[in-house]
Amino acid sequence: MTATATVSRVTVTAGPVRRRIWSYWRFYLALSPFYVLFAVFGLYPMVSTIVLAFQRWDGLSARKFTGLDNFAFLIQDPTFWTALENTVVLFLMSTVPTLVLALVLAVMLQSAVRFTNVYRIAYFIPNVTSLVAMAIFFSSVFSTNFGLVNAALRSLGIPQQDWLGQPWGIKIAISTMIVWQWVGYNTLIYLAGLQAIPKEQYEAAKVDGAGAVRTFFSITLPQLRPVVLFTVIMSTIGGLQTFTEPQVMVGNSGGTGQSGMTVVLFFYRAAFLDNDYGYAAAIALSIFVLVLLFTAINWRIFRERSEDR
Amino acid sequence: MELSRRTLLGGFAAVAGGSLVGCSSGMNTGTTAKKNAATELTMWCWPGGLGKSVLDDTVAHFPDPKIKYSEIGGDFKQKLITTFNGGTSIPDITGLKGEDIASLLPQAERFVDLKTVGADSILGDYLDWKVKQATTLDGKVIGLPIDVGPTALFYREDIFAAAGLPSDPAKVADQLKTWDDYFAAGVQLKAKNPKALLVWDATDLYDMVVGQGTERYISKDNKFIGDQDHIRKAWDTSVKAMTLKIDGKTPSGGPDWNAGLDQGTIPTHIGAAWVALDIKSAVKTSAGKWWLAPTPSGPANFGGSFLAITQNAADPQKAFDVIKYMLSADNEAKAFTDAQIFPSAPAAYDKPQLKAADKFFGGQVPIDVFGPAAKAIPVAYQSPFDDAVAAPFHDELKTVQTGAKTSDAAWSAAVSKAKAIAKRQGVQ
Repeated sequence: MTATATVSRVTVTAGPVRRRIWSYWRFYLALSPFYVLFAVFGLYPMVSTIVLAFQRWDGLSARKFTGLDNFAFLIQDPTFWTALENTVVLFLMSTVPTLVLALVLAVMLQSAVRFTNVYRIAYFIPNVTSLVAMAIFFSSVFSTNFGLVNAALRSLGIPQQDWLGQPWGIKIAISTMIVWQWVGYNTLIYLAGLQAIPKEQYEAAKVDGAGAVRTFFSITLPQLRPVVLFTVIMSTIGGLQTFTEPQVMVGNSGGTGQSGMTVVLFFYRAAFLDNDYGYAAAIALSIFVLVLLFTAINWRIFRERSEDR
Repeated sequence: MELSRRTLLGGFAAVAGGSLVGCSSGMNTGTTAKKNAATELTMWCWPGGLGKSVLDDTVAHFPDPKIKYSEIGGDFKQKLITTFNGGTSIPDITGLKGEDIASLLPQAERFVDLKTVGADSILGDYLDWKVKQATTLDGKVIGLPIDVGPTALFYREDIFAAAGLPSDPAKVADQLKTWDDYFAAGVQLKAKNPKALLVWDATDLYDMVVGQGTERYISKDNKFIGDQDHIRKAWDTSVKAMTLKIDGKTPSGGPDWNAGLDQGTIPTHIGAAWVALDIKSAVKTSAGKWWLAPTPSGPANFGGSFLAITQNAADPQKAFDVIKYMLSADNEAKAFTDAQIFPSAPAAYDKPQLKAADKFFGGQVPIDVFGPAAKAIPVAYQSPFDDAVAAPFHDELKTVQTGAKTSDAAWSAAVSKAKAIAKRQGVQ
């Protein structure tokens, strides 16, 4: 903000345009690392993905322009619709428990008296652990005959389940892993939000005789709304791009009934296994549209609610 | 400016460098590939792709130009393609994995046709069906085979004996000749030992049966034939294992499979020669109880890679001499001792390194099973789009395995999906 303000102030008094720009070369130089990196690793790939979506390319031969062929095939491809459905279901199965759990934990952590930092670190550790290592660990936990989950079920007298061989088992295993990984991160975000709520409001509530539950729903939750919106949008962006968990746990095929096949895994399969890069680019664009759509919906819901107030 | 010796030399170097660059780029107008520098011979392979002692020996044997070997981890094919697109640092010699060779054949112009550098005289030393995998339809050979992956039946001798099945390799070979025999043994075993399911995973078995045939999903004249009898037969064989309830539903390589091998719940596995390494590393208590017999209904092949020379190689003839030396029968036998790399040249099967008995397999000589299998593998044309078209069959077969769909419903879904993919890839 201050930088633009300075620039606009000076431009009024300076000479010819070219010279004006040139005289600020130091500023542009200072800004350039981001823009250069963004242009090379962000803008260029994005633009070429859009171009590629209208072409056929096997990675080595000459590219061929095919118009809307890739998109026409995409909407007819049953695997794409399966992947879309799986992605949305997995997103709901993982995001809702993650955010609810994170909120509960954050409220509990805030009122914890001792060892708060120990808890915070403990909850955050899953988020910085290697995803592949975790996926391998979770696939052992959910394995049929020798997994921890089935051992627990057996000890309770419940028959064991073929978790990674059943469509619903796969979804449960994958979303459990996502929940495990992201609860800690969201807890910390909520905790920061909680600490920003003025203490006076809680004191006033106490004076008025509100209990813990009433205080939570009437003060904590409304005050946290912008933070919740942030976490929901971040989880949407992350959740709709689920890839590593199913890829490591059930493989490139997406497992039984393709129930672990997410849109990004489908994209990976098209690009790097089938070397159908044009089609993969079309899938990538569909992910972009999907994320945009969900973010818009979230934004709408939360903004309207805040306006209702 | 003062003229010192240093600036003068620097100036000369710049001029010389500039003219060299100009020269080399000028020379290559007309050809697509830029030649690599002749000062060293670069070679790419993935970890464990070549035997260590053979590699060291080859590097010592060809001092000029020096061989610079790079081990490329991760997705090898993807890195090779990216490098080809980048146009620089392309290796002179590169490994090509067996599962990638079909999709690289359309790119034959990026590789040297080995027949142009004198491969004709040695191609006969290698297994014919393996060389065919690296041969384009118009007869160019782009790779010399490093190894092959002939299949065999790995079985638990103790569990077979306890269930009254034949346990001696010769008798097993005699009795389990076809898939039907194998399944019948599975039913008998299950009656005696309900925990032991003979087929580790019926959907894995499907690929074995497809691999035993002479045709796959797409014919040589680029027509979709995945809906025909030879594929349906493989499908039905796999489904039969499911309906007989002798399907363990345990994909190989997972923790359940690893544990099941020792516990006797997975009494057999059918896999390529290199699966021996997986089994050896997975088991603790059942070493020595595993034996080998031929694959029921004949051998198939899984994996086995190639060494190829790129068009960028500075001296293709020299590069060919190097791979010819590396892949001689003697050196392939050494590579087998190094890292269980199963030779692609049948002459190596008679070398002492391969004739050794293996205590893990109850003192059996593995080559007695794998050798004849390697020689008997059928030649099958594999289209560049074979994997993409095969995917729906695997996906749908899994739905039969879980009981979500009937065999017929899943089959027609697989065929229609495969047809759509084939059509997209320009297959008729």
